[in-house]
Order: sequence, then C-alpha cells, then structure tokens
Amino acid sequence: MDTATEQLKKNRAFLCLECGKCTAVCPISKVNNAYSPRRLLAEGLFYGAGDLASDRLLWSCLTCLLCSQRCPVDVKYSEYMRDVRAVAYSQGYFGNPSHGGALHHIMEMAASPKLRQNRTDWITKDLKVKQKGEVLYFVGCLPYYEELFSKDFEYSPISIAVDTVKILNHLGIEPVVLDNERCCGHDLYWLGQLDRFDQIAKLNLGEMEQAGVKQVITSCPECAVALRRLYPERVGENGLDVRHISQVISENKSRLRLGRWDGEVSFQDPCRLGRFMQVYDEPREIMSLIEGLQLHEMAHNRRGAICCGTTNWINCDATCKQIQKGRLDEARAAGAETLVTACPKCQIHFRCAQCGEESDKNGMKITDFVNIVASALKS
Amino acid sequence: MLDAGRHPNIEVLTHSELVRFEGRAGNFKATVRRNPRYVDEDLCTGCGQCVHDCPAIVPNEFEVGMGARKAIYSPFPQAVPNTYIIDQEACLNNQFLVCTNCMNSCDRNAINYDDVPREVELNVGAAVVATGFDVYNASAIAAYGYGLYDNVLTNIELERVLNASGPTQGHIVRPSDHKVPKKLAFIQCVGSRGEGKEAGCEYCSRFCCMNAVKDGLLVKQHEPDIEELLLFYIDLRAAGKGFEEFYQRSFEMEELKYVRGRPSKILEDPETKDLLVYFEDVETGEVKTEKVEMVVLSTGAVAAASNPELADVLGIELDENGFFEVEPRYGSPLHTARQGVYICGCAAGVNDISDSVAQASGAAAEAEKFIEKMVVEKEPEEKKEMDCSGPPKVGVFLCHCGINIAGVLNIDELKEYAETIPNVEFVENNLFLCSDEGQRLMQERIAEHGLNRVVAAACTPRTHEPVFRDSCEEIGLNPYLFEMVNVRDQCSWVHTRVPEIATQKAKDMIKLGVAKARHLQPLYKKSIPVNQSALIIGGGVAGMAAALELEAQGMKVYLIEKDGRLGGRLNNLTRVYPANLSAFELARVMVEKVKASRVEAMAGTEVNNITGFVGNFDVSTTNGNFKVGTIVLATGADIYEPADEFGYRQFENVITNQELEDILHDTKGKIQIHGETPKNVVFIQCVGSRDPEKNPGCSRYCCPTTIKQAIRLRESGVNVAVLHRDMRTVGAKAEEHYRRARQLGVKFIRFTPERLPGVTGDGDRASSVEILELALNRVLDIEVDYVVLAAGMVPNEKSTSKLQDILKVPRGADGFFMERHAKLGPVETTTEGVFLAGCVAGPRDIADSLAQGSAAAAKASSIITHEMVALEPTTCIVEQSLCRACSKCVEMCDYHAPTLADIAPGLKAAQINQALCKGCGTCASWCPTGAIVALHFTDEQINSMLDALLLDKV
Amino acid sequence: MAVKTEQAKKKKKSKKEFVPNIVVFACNWCSYAGADNAGTNRLQHSPHFRVIRTMCSGRVAPGFVLKALKLGADGVLVSGCHFGDCHYIFGNYKQVEQFEVTKGLVKTLGLDMKRIRLEWVSAAEGPRWAELINEFVQQITELGPSPLNHKPGHK
Repeated sequence: MDTATEQLKKNRAFLCLECGKCTAVCPISKVNNAYSPRRLLAEGLFYGAGDLASDRLLWSCLTCLLCSQRCPVDVKYSEYMRDVRAVAYSQGYFGNPSHGGALHHIMEMAASPKLRQNRTDWITKDLKVKQKGEVLYFVGCLPYYEELFSKDFEYSPISIAVDTVKILNHLGIEPVVLDNERCCGHDLYWLGQLDRFDQIAKLNLGEMEQAGVKQVITSCPECAVALRRLYPERVGENGLDVRHISQVISENKSRLRLGRWDGEVSFQDPCRLGRFMQVYDEPREIMSLIEGLQLHEMAHNRRGAICCGTTNWINCDATCKQIQKGRLDEARAAGAETLVTACPKCQIHFRCAQCGEESDKNGMKITDFVNIVASALKS
Repeated sequence: MLDAGRHPNIEVLTHSELVRFEGRAGNFKATVRRNPRYVDEDLCTGCGQCVHDCPAIVPNEFEVGMGARKAIYSPFPQAVPNTYIIDQEACLNNQFLVCTNCMNSCDRNAINYDDVPREVELNVGAAVVATGFDVYNASAIAAYGYGLYDNVLTNIELERVLNASGPTQGHIVRPSDHKVPKKLAFIQCVGSRGEGKEAGCEYCSRFCCMNAVKDGLLVKQHEPDIEELLLFYIDLRAAGKGFEEFYQRSFEMEELKYVRGRPSKILEDPETKDLLVYFEDVETGEVKTEKVEMVVLSTGAVAAASNPELADVLGIELDENGFFEVEPRYGSPLHTARQGVYICGCAAGVNDISDSVAQASGAAAEAEKFIEKMVVEKEPEEKKEMDCSGPPKVGVFLCHCGINIAGVLNIDELKEYAETIPNVEFVENNLFLCSDEGQRLMQERIAEHGLNRVVAAACTPRTHEPVFRDSCEEIGLNPYLFEMVNVRDQCSWVHTRVPEIATQKAKDMIKLGVAKARHLQPLYKKSIPVNQSALIIGGGVAGMAAALELEAQGMKVYLIEKDGRLGGRLNNLTRVYPANLSAFELARVMVEKVKASRVEAMAGTEVNNITGFVGNFDVSTTNGNFKVGTIVLATGADIYEPADEFGYRQFENVITNQELEDILHDTKGKIQIHGETPKNVVFIQCVGSRDPEKNPGCSRYCCPTTIKQAIRLRESGVNVAVLHRDMRTVGAKAEEHYRRARQLGVKFIRFTPERLPGVTGDGDRASSVEILELALNRVLDIEVDYVVLAAGMVPNEKSTSKLQDILKVPRGADGFFMERHAKLGPVETTTEGVFLAGCVAGPRDIADSLAQGSAAAAKASSIITHEMVALEPTTCIVEQSLCRACSKCVEMCDYHAPTLADIAPGLKAAQINQALCKGCGTCASWCPTGAIVALHFTDEQINSMLDALLLDKV
Repeated sequence: MAVKTEQAKKKKKSKKEFVPNIVVFACNWCSYAGADNAGTNRLQHSPHFRVIRTMCSGRVAPGFVLKALKLGADGVLVSGCHFGDCHYIFGNYKQVEQFEVTKGLVKTLGLDMKRIRLEWVSAAEGPRWAELINEFVQQITELGPSPLNHKPGHK
C-alpha cells in the first residue's frame, strides 16, 4: 500500500459518502465557495495526495474539527489535511505565511537543541514561580506575541501569562516556569512538519523531566492539545497530566475568592479547548461566579462554535476576516460588549479583524478568560 | 548628478568652456571648447586600473589639499561621467619622463596622450548660468593666520574632515599633531560683512551661520569627547525654513557656546601649536583671551574668478561684487539683461542650497520658453516578446572587465561552478561584456540556447543594469528577466588580496543571482494618459509667476484665487527691495499679463475638492469643475496678528509693519501719519517669530522689511530705532541696505528674549519704549510717536489644513507644507504631481517667491509636457484575495499609493495606485498576510536567495 | 531567575579560526551604492559577508532577518540611508520600527543581540562601509558560531 492510500485509509477517507455535510458546515466554505472539504477529499481519493500538494487551498483548512464532528462516517478530515500537508511540505510546498513567516521561523528554531532562550523577563517579583517542582505552567508563545503584537493592538499578550500565574498563586499553586521552554509545536504538527514536531516534543519533555514535572497547566488550548494528545501520539506516552487553566480553576474553586467584574460578555469556545478537549463548562462555570458578569451565548456555541477564522499563521486572507467579523457580529447580536476567549491566538485574530476602516470596528472589546478572572480576584 | 548624466535629454559636457555665444533667444549659436581629458569617454569603463598604476601623486584639491590623488584621476567619487582625466601638470609623461603606465594598464585603449582641445558648436534656445561661487581666501586676513598656523582651518576644510569618505575618515584631528582637539573655536563672517577695511566682501554670505551650527553638532557627534566649542558671531542668521528651530536645538549641546563678538586676532603658541583667540564678549563687554586647540574660519563666498570672462562671452554685466547682474525689472532673481540668458544659484549672489535648487528649476522654466521641442521621445518599436513561461533556463555571463575581475577571481573556476547550478543552461565568459561586441554575443547566446533568464556577473547594476536590460529587450527577452551580480565593485575590487576567498564569494554571489533569476517574472511598463493642463491655487506673485510660465510653454492653465482680485500680498506693499520696484507696478504688470494671456484666471473662487492622481486630477471648485494633470499650491501665508504684545491692542500708535506699509502705500514724498510727520519711531523685531510658544521659526522677511521701512522713514527725517535679537538681513542686497540704514543714522539696539522691551504710555497712546542696552548695561528710555511691530509670518490655517486634507500633502511642525526634500526638492511634495510655490511652504520674500513660482512651473511642466507617462513596473501590487483590508499599508505609505476599495459587496481590499507607488516595498514587509507583492523584490525571490545562500538549496 | 542565554554560555574559542556566515541587506540607493563606492576606492575589507540588495531598507521585514538566523546565519546586517536621505522619504524610519520588533524577537530567542545590526551608510561613504563591514565581521567572529549554525565554516 502506498503512502497516499495508507493515509486515506488511516483517516477513514474511503468511507466518505459524499453527503456534503462537511462543506455545508465548514466556516471557510461559507465565505469562500472555492473551498470545499468534500471536494478536497475527493481530489485526494481520485488523484492521490500528490496532486493536492500544489493546491494552495490545502493550507486553508482551519483544522477546527467542525466537519469531522458532523461527518456521519467519522472521516478524519483535519488529520487527512495534516497528512497531505506533510507530503506537500516534503515537496517544497507551503501555504501563504502571515507576518512574513516570522512566526514559522521562530517555531522552527525551537527545534534546534542549542537554542537557549531568554523568555522569562515578564516574571516580576510579586509572581511566585519556581524552577523545579511537580506543577508546570507552560507559557507557550506569549513572550513572542508580546514582541510582535503588543504595539499593533495596544494590548499586552504577556498579561495572559502574568494573570495565569497570579491566579495560580491565588489558588495556592506556585508553578514551575521553564527558562528554556520551547514552542509546543502544535502549528508545525498541523502544517505537516512532523519531524520537527517530534524533535520539539522530545526537547520539551526532556526539560520537564529534568524539572520533575508531573502536571502541566497551560493558558493556551493549543499547547494543552499538543502536550496532552499530540506528544503521546507522536513520541509515546509521557505520564503527564495536562490541563487548561480553566479546568484547574474549576477544580480549585473552593479556594477561589472572586469579586466583581461588570460586563456583558460572550464566550468564544476555542476549537482546541472545545471540540478537541471537550472543555465547555469550566470557563462558563467560573465566569458565572463573577458578580456583575453577564454571559450571553452566541448563536453558535459549545460544540457548534465557529473557529476564530485563522490558524497556524497561514493562508490568512479576506475569507478569514469575514469569518472573524461574522463572529464579532454574532457576539454583538447576542448582547455582548466584550468577547471573551480562552486562546491567545483567537484574541489576536479578532483584534486584527477590527483593524481597517471604521466599518470594521464594531466596537467589541476582546479579552482573555484569565484576564477577566484575574481582575475579579479578591486579594 | 547621476540622474542628469543618465537623462536622455541631457548631454553633459565636462571639462568644457563657452568661448562664443551668438544669436538671439530661441536661436543661439554656442561655441564650446572641450578641453582635452586624454581619456576617451566612450571607451573608458571607469575601472580605475590606470589610477592604480599611475606613479604621480599630487595633493587632492577636492580634499582641499588634505588628501592625495594621482595624475590620472576622477575629481570626486560620484563624478559624472565616471571617466578619468589626466592632469597634464602632474603627469610624468608630460614632463619629459617616459611613463606610459596608464596607457599600458588600460585594456580598452582609452588613453590618448595626444588629445587636443576641440571646439563644438551647439544650437541652443537659451542659456542658464549656474557657475557658482569661489570660497573667500582666508589668508587675506593676516590677523587670523590662516595658512600660517597649522591648526586654523576653513569651514570647507572642516566639511571634508567631517566626511566619512574624507581624508581623515571622518575623524577630527589637528593637522599639526593628528590629535583630537578638546577645545575648538568657530569664527563667523570671515571675509563677509566687512566694511571694506578687511579684504573680503561687504555682503552677508548667508550660508555660513547654519553651516557652523550644523558642523558644531557634527563635531560633537564625531568626537564625543570634545570639551568646548566656542562659536564667535555677530548676528546668528538662522533665517530659512526650520533653521531657527535647528539653532534652538543646538543649545542642547552643552559644549557649544555662542559668543557674540568677532575676534580681533589669533596667535599661535609655537610649541604646542595651540591658538590664542583675542576677542570682546560683546554681551558682557569683557575683553578676553581663550586658548583653543583648533580654529575653524567660516569663510564666505565670493564671485567666481571666471565670471568676467564668461560675462564677456555672454554679453551680460556683472554687479559691483563681481556676480552676474540680475535684471531688476522682473523682480525675479533669474533674469539677466539678455533675453534667453538666465542665472541661478550663487552665480548671481549668495544663496543656500534649497534656494539655489528652486532657482535652478525656475531658470529651467524660463529657458523652456525658447526651446521648441521639449520632449525628445524615441519611437516605440513593436517587438515580439519571447515566451518565458516554461521552466527557467538560466544563462550566466561572466565578465572579465579586463583584469578588473579576471585579475583577481578565477574565471575558469567560476564558470565550472556556474554550470553545476540547477537550471543553468549556459555559461560563457567575455573580456568586456558591456562592450558592443560583448552584448551582441550575449544576445546571440540567448537566442541560440533559448535562455529565458539571464544573469550577468560583472560590475554594479547601478550603472550597467540599464545597458544589459536594453540588450535583452532588443531581442525580445523581457528586461526584468535579467539579474546582475556585482562581482567587480563588491568583490574583486575590495577583496583583491585574497583571490581564493574572493572567488568563493563570487560563487556564492552567482548562486544568489541564479536563485533570484529563477523566480523573476516578466514585468511591463504601463503608460497612462496625462491631462496636459495645470491648476494653480493662489493668485499672488508665486501663483501668477507659475501660471505665466506654464502658459508661455503652451499649457492650459487654471489659476484660482479666493479673493476678489489677483495680486495677493503684493497689493498691500509699497516698494519691493532690493531694486526698489513699485509693488503696485509689479502687481499691475503681472495681473495684466495674466489677463492678456490664455490663463483661465478665476478670482473669488475656492477649491471644493480634488480627487485623482498625477496626470489625472479631478478638480471641483466654487466656479465649476475641470480636469488637470498637475497642481501648484501657491496660497501664501498670513501675517501674524499680535495679541497684546507690546501694547498692540492697548495703544493706537502701536502698529504692525503691515499697517505701516498701508500708510506708506498711501503716502507720496514725506511720510505723514494722520497728517503729521512723526518724530520718533521704534521698530520691535521678532513679534510672533522665534517664539517657542507662538511660532518657533524665523519669519525671514521681517528684518529686510524693517530695514526698507526704516530707511524710508529716516529719509523723511524721522528718528528711527530698531530693537532686534539678531539682524537677519540675508536676502539679495539686504546686508547692503542694512549698512545704508546705519549710515543714515538708524539706531539698532539688541535685546534678548529674557528681557523684552517695554512699551509704556498714557490712555490709548504709547509714549516711550524702555530697553536694556546690553553693551552699556543701561536701561534706555526712548520717546516714541509710533511703535512698529515686525510681525512674523504664519501659515494660513484654514486653507492649509483644507488642502492638506484634500491632497494629503504633509505639514511640518511649523504648520507650513513640507517639501519633498528640504534641500533638493524645495518645490516638490511627497504627493506626486503637486508642487509648492511661495510662502505656502514657509516665509520668503517676493524675489524668492517669484523664483519658486517659476520653479514649480518647471516641475509641473515636466509632467504635463508628456501625453503619456510611463510607469516603472517594479512597484507593489496587491493580491486582493489575500487582503484583509487592515489598512496598515494605507496608513504607512507617505505617497498615499495604497487605498481601500470595494471589490465585492461588503468586501474591501487594498489597491495600490501604480502611478503613485515608488516601489520601495516597505508596505510589502508590513503586510500581515503577504497580500502585497513587491515586484522584482518579492518574498519568494528574497527567501529563495536566503535558501540558496544558507541551505545551499537553489 | 538565572537566564542561560547564549552570551552567558559563550564557549571557548576553537583552535581553527571560525569564519562567520553573514547576510547583509543593503538598500539600493545608499548602502549598496556605498559598497560600490568602497569598490571604486579599492577599500579592502573582509570578504565574509554576502549582500542581498533591496530597493529600500524598509523592505527588510523581520521575517527575512529571522529566516537568515534560522538557517544558521551568524550575523545579519541591515543597512539603509541616513535619516532624511531615504530615497523613499519614510522607508528607513519604518525599518527602525520593524527592527525594534526583530530585536525583541531575537532577544527572546536568546540569541546574542550583537548578531543583528541596523546601520546607515550613504552612497558616498565607501570608507564607512568598509569600516562597518570589518567591524561587524570582527564582532561576529569574536561571538563565534550562532547556536543555530549547524555547520560553522572554518579557515
């Protein structure tokens, strides 16, 4: 069996009934008719992955899992995309990188064993962290986003890390923060750069082992998915207990002392937190404990939530912006003033969608779940 | 310089002199003697081998004698043409020694020792004199010891010393011991503003004050350990746009100390070679001596020694200072008495760079009236273009450039290597690839081998890319499929001593060139039609001058003026200095000329809106709509209206210079105000100028205006005192008038902003002005009948901000419109096709405004003389499907090329106006999604070069 | 918290002299012309750099600098026109802003900040170009190979 056939089989593509449910639900297809998951799958089935490799639309899939969730025969479309991308990448193809590829370069550098980063400048004296211990806070790309985006959006992405540590300290947890934690590799995985991903996974696991880590907390759902699901899948079981910060807060809510935070909000379920990890209730539960906070569900929520429109820093375009604007309008229609998300990337994408002409600025404030919780904490 | 050298309509004749000039405007016969340069311009490739081999070394006059050059040399690094010349006086061959080193070294046989002067006859329509000035010879002032003392330099010498490519690589060292001086002195007005007692000129050389301030700051930048820098001056004349602000900023440099006073003498300590400067600090009255380690003399400008001869040939006169005489009749500084002969820059008197550049454009506009066929365009040839859509087939051509490249790099090795690079189809070397023969061979090979990408490893693309591109185009290969690799200037010439490493480097460079070439795409020049008409906004002198120039060139001109009549500020003036013309007459003549011409003048008209871009503006006014190809903004400025300064609102006899001008306007003969001749009048300068709160800039026009009015009053027997901070009489003949005012007995008293004069009086009349006389340190009480406030010039907020919004022309901190380049583009703006004339860009006098009007006309006509404008295709374009319409590009581009447009209902995307885009590619690097493609420098091309270089992947 | 950046971990000099891999981005109008000027004046300088020409320094996005570093360049120099001299008026000012971002990222990556540099060289400053190149090559040679350089060159 050749690789292409193997991939199709592995991802259950042969089972496709051509019912078109996937395309009907796909957020990209809704805006851009040229893109159709069903057609891309058919192309692979009839012509093999080789022909698909040069198709730029190959890199448009958000791997948001909305289609797989609806598929009657459980075709693993996102995984299929990943596999075809791996073939395409090996042939020298790549999608259209955002920000001149800066983020991909950083991710790829993370695979270099000799890299010694300088990524903990944000840790101030009032934050209690340690270098060795059982509970790790995995910071993710926030220190890089701080350099790249803080000027553009008048918003500090690193505040998510600061607030996460504040919350953990509040709950009596003094987490380990690694000096040389690397990019989790999540995006490289979905971009088909599996060798590099494996390298990064091993390097990160090595660092964690050295620090004696048993439990990992992340503020980014992508990091959580990578560490919890993708590391074991690619480089074997590691015995780590990986959670998103919302889960940790929920488990420790007895120790949580929350005050007021006034605002009308909607919650953007990040694909990785929701459909990948089935975490829907925890953030909502915590927010409901905050006095003054009113949650208004958007028309599409929980399992049916629509992705923030861009992923893996690739193929970002007018289509993506339309998805984002649609989502912002949905929040507005629900009665929200603030859109809360639990993924730093969603936030960047929504903020970016508000750049441009006046008509693009629908006035929706964007914030992260941990920022709200931290500002509602009673000292 | 390079632009002029390359311009198809400009033939540069260097090393040449005008010997005869006959005929009349429109049909002159000019005889030019081309002195021998002993190097054939057509054959010389500028390789420099001859210079290297020449044994004769002489002092370099460009480095003011501080550096050395050879007998065969290029006068300075950017000289145009880039051809060498043999200095006969230094050449050994000329001194009965047999040296043929240069001839032997030249592979092109360009050296000709038997070259002789040739006379060429040119038929021209007009002539422009732009022969500049000579630097005053400072050794004439014995007391300063220039030429005698090692460590006394002139400002021109310091300029070279400060230059990174100068004789000391930018390090400031004393000539005597090559040590960095800790303490320096600058002395102003050396050879300028003399009263005939010292050798030199009577006028102010105008540029030296700002030059000294700038050099003072640069000295500190180059040598941060400088301890003290004394700047001796009489009046600090920071009179030009942004100059005063610059002068004020210089106070932040603690080491720079301004001392009012001109030193009487300098003595050298013969042992240490330090210098003792003797002077009176005029502000404190103390006589002092300061010991410094270096002195810089700010030498002035004098008329060029060659002026009499040239004036004789041209049949025009020189003025009393030896500069070319300006015909005063027109009020403009560009005319000589001979029709068809114009002057600009320092040929007619001292000017700074920006005024010289504006005058140059103005003189060009005047000259254009006598030139029949303005645009010489090549007939376009239809050619079939080669198909290049298939996989890249790269041809690599290696140039030996004689021994320039091949003498260092191993060409065989390079050739062998190039053949191994993927997609390289053909490799060949040539002794001189740029020669006609070399180009012909290259063309043949391209056709023979079906090459669709060409890489030349030769010299620099900056000079030779156009040559190679043309050759490609001739045989139907799109010229943008050509890539140049600079293995000469940036490899063999600079790594001569390490030939093996240099060869390795050249391999990498070729690899990079091929990597880029593989991704090159054909690009096409687009042409857009030009609406051959102009809009002039503002009917003052500058606007009328621009309109008349353009009309004389046969252009359709719309001139709109918001007031009910043309003439602008000229309507409110009496006489115009320096020639004492009647302002009324000047205005009348110009307005009548406009009315008699085909200029469509519309008084009482304002602009509603303007859309479009260069060549195609849609104009909507209160008096109808029309289309134009270019726009000149000449809306002038306002006179500052004093609030309550110096009792302006309180006392009725405190008036502004403009109000005095109105009075003088109505008076013939002896001055009378309200039926009486005043006895005592005091002028107060810098009202609403040089004031960080109200207007930080110097308004420039007010000092000469005060002088003019003071003379008029004094001639009527009035006692006049002028209270000032610095007398900045920098215009043409202004310093002479200043002297005349002093001779007539006008008193000049200095004050400082810390202690302003006080005006006191009873009821509604001021009776006296009190001022602290600094030299005597005594308070003077001056009785007055009238106090005249020299009110500065401020931008007209309403019209300026409106035009800024409409045309996106940026304004500076002073509120005036900003020029494209403060020095080199004084009438251009960053908005293509929109030009500035007169006070709209900052305060200036009538003469300068007229010159600017002409200059703006020249620039405007350079656009609308063409029916079509060809656009360089190496611009940025938007792949709209990738655009998120985030407007980053729109916000950042100073040329306003990107805008957002609707591409589908509810969907916007950026688009880049190809007529406005300059192709810098900055927006492409800021675009978050990569939607913007910088053509010819695409992400793909640059990334593939990085891959080739660092991954060894081509 | 102890930060083990590259600088802190600088290794002992290897015996063979290390030859750095340096990428230089030069703007067409000033810096590339300045490099040519060095050539015209035959100003000998270190050969251990490779130039990529762009029309304006503003074109040099952080992505290009990062890519060069990712691929193992030991140093990256971006060179444009002096302030006020930019052929495109604003390009070099925009490069300053971009370079701030680049610097922030390089610092976070823990690479030595001395590996990247932004400089201005005018068309007439051949001597300055030669001096700058020599100085930068010297600096990078002293720093040694980049941790991302997998096959450092030696003499």
